[in-house]
Amino acid sequence: MKTRGELQISFGWLFAIIAGISILFLAIFISTKIIKTEQGEADTTTAKKLDVLLNPLETSFESGKTTTIALSSETKIYNKCEDIGNFGKQLIQISQKSFGEYSDTGIDVSFPNKYIFSDEVVEGKKFYLTSKPFNYPFKVSDLIFLTSKEYCFVDAPEEIENEISDFQENIKVENCSDESVKICFMEEGCDVDVYWGRQYVQKGDEKLYFSENLLYAAIFSDKDIYECQVKRLMKRTEELASLYLDKSVFVANKGCYSNLEIELISLKESAKNFDISENFDSIDYLADSLNQKNKMSECKLW
Amino acid sequence: MVKNKSAQLKIQQMTFMLIAVTLFFVLVGLFVLSIKTYGLKKIANNLEEENAKLLVAKLANSPEFSCGDVYSYSEINCVDADKVIVLKDRKEYADFWKVANIEIRKIYPVTANKECSLKNYPDCNIIKVFSKDVNAGAYQSNFVSLCRTEILEGEKYDKCELAKILVNYEVKE
Repeated sequence: MKTRGELQISFGWLFAIIAGISILFLAIFISTKIIKTEQGEADTTTAKKLDVLLNPLETSFESGKTTTIALSSETKIYNKCEDIGNFGKQLIQISQKSFGEYSDTGIDVSFPNKYIFSDEVVEGKKFYLTSKPFNYPFKVSDLIFLTSKEYCFVDAPEEIENEISDFQENIKVENCSDESVKICFMEEGCDVDVYWGRQYVQKGDEKLYFSENLLYAAIFSDKDIYECQVKRLMKRTEELASLYLDKSVFVANKGCYSNLEIELISLKESAKNFDISENFDSIDYLADSLNQKNKMSECKLW
Repeated sequence: MVKNKSAQLKIQQMTFMLIAVTLFFVLVGLFVLSIKTYGLKKIANNLEEENAKLLVAKLANSPEFSCGDVYSYSEINCVDADKVIVLKDRKEYADFWKVANIEIRKIYPVTANKECSLKNYPDCNIIKVFSKDVNAGAYQSNFVSLCRTEILEGEKYDKCELAKILVNYEVKE
């Protein structure tokens, strides 16, 4: 008996509708996943490309090098650092804007032989990269400064002004915009205050101690990144001191004496025990004396 | 009874159709995935090759290889042989440059091929700095001057020879 208004759907139809809906949902779900994976793949490829592009920033006799990276869409570069192992690791992650939203970050791309100093997240379409050698007392590595914001150096000493003239267009000493990050050398209360004589940089309540070209590293990077990268640099200093120690023994066997073994052992130990940037104060003199001795040596090691 | 049988048959047909459609999509998916994976490996290998090319151009200037101010005529692309021979096979550096092999070959003056060790150095012409047992790609090379300190009758002098620094990367399969 049929009741009026009753919808008659056969089992076959019902089955087809349910199966169709399931397939449709599955297709939508898979498509969404594929789009996300593609985006992640693109981000990871960009991060790896960035790693490759950093190779030419290695300096030899130059005092520094600069380059610019322009990307097609707004990008966030996440700078991460790990200080575990023989050399620690530099990690970067990329997140690019698509359809008005930033994608989930891609996979970490790691490289143990590079040291990038920047904020934890650097955002923009155009990125400025500058490298400077770090000698302690032998060349340890190149420091890479990654920026996208405008920085304004106020009352910088002539030496610094000359040096930053080789940096890129986002680093200024005059005609600075209101949005720029102010770095002051003579007055206090700026975004970054540099205490040149006492060898530290103050950012709010945080003090970042520096030595040599690490001044710029301290200015351009967040405290956590800075401390971690400095620790990694000291790990490489330790390995290099060990390498020079072996070299000094090797060339001594040939009859060429450097007589730097004791100082190299001290530097190696100090680098091994290096904890925070405040420790520079106690190692700087050792690096200086080692440098003087090497210069005077009959058989230079570096 | 006849009506019931016909319905059962239709359901069976539908099930077979659904299985066939699902199987078709799965196969298409697998095909697309294999193409994508191949593309991804190609991108990864291209990036590794590019990395090796750029690295070899700059490796001689890195602290572990460079001459620094040791030799009178050392300029850019100068490799300190006395330093590299002690760097050879250091486990700490095994993954430092993320390449499969790094070696330095003396090319002038020409001598018979002999791998260097601490025992036969400098009477040899190949310094294998690192060598990984992996499927490696083509070598990328760059010319360098290979310098060392020599002592002759108590007098120290610098000796530089023409060499090639070779780097190859691990091929992802």
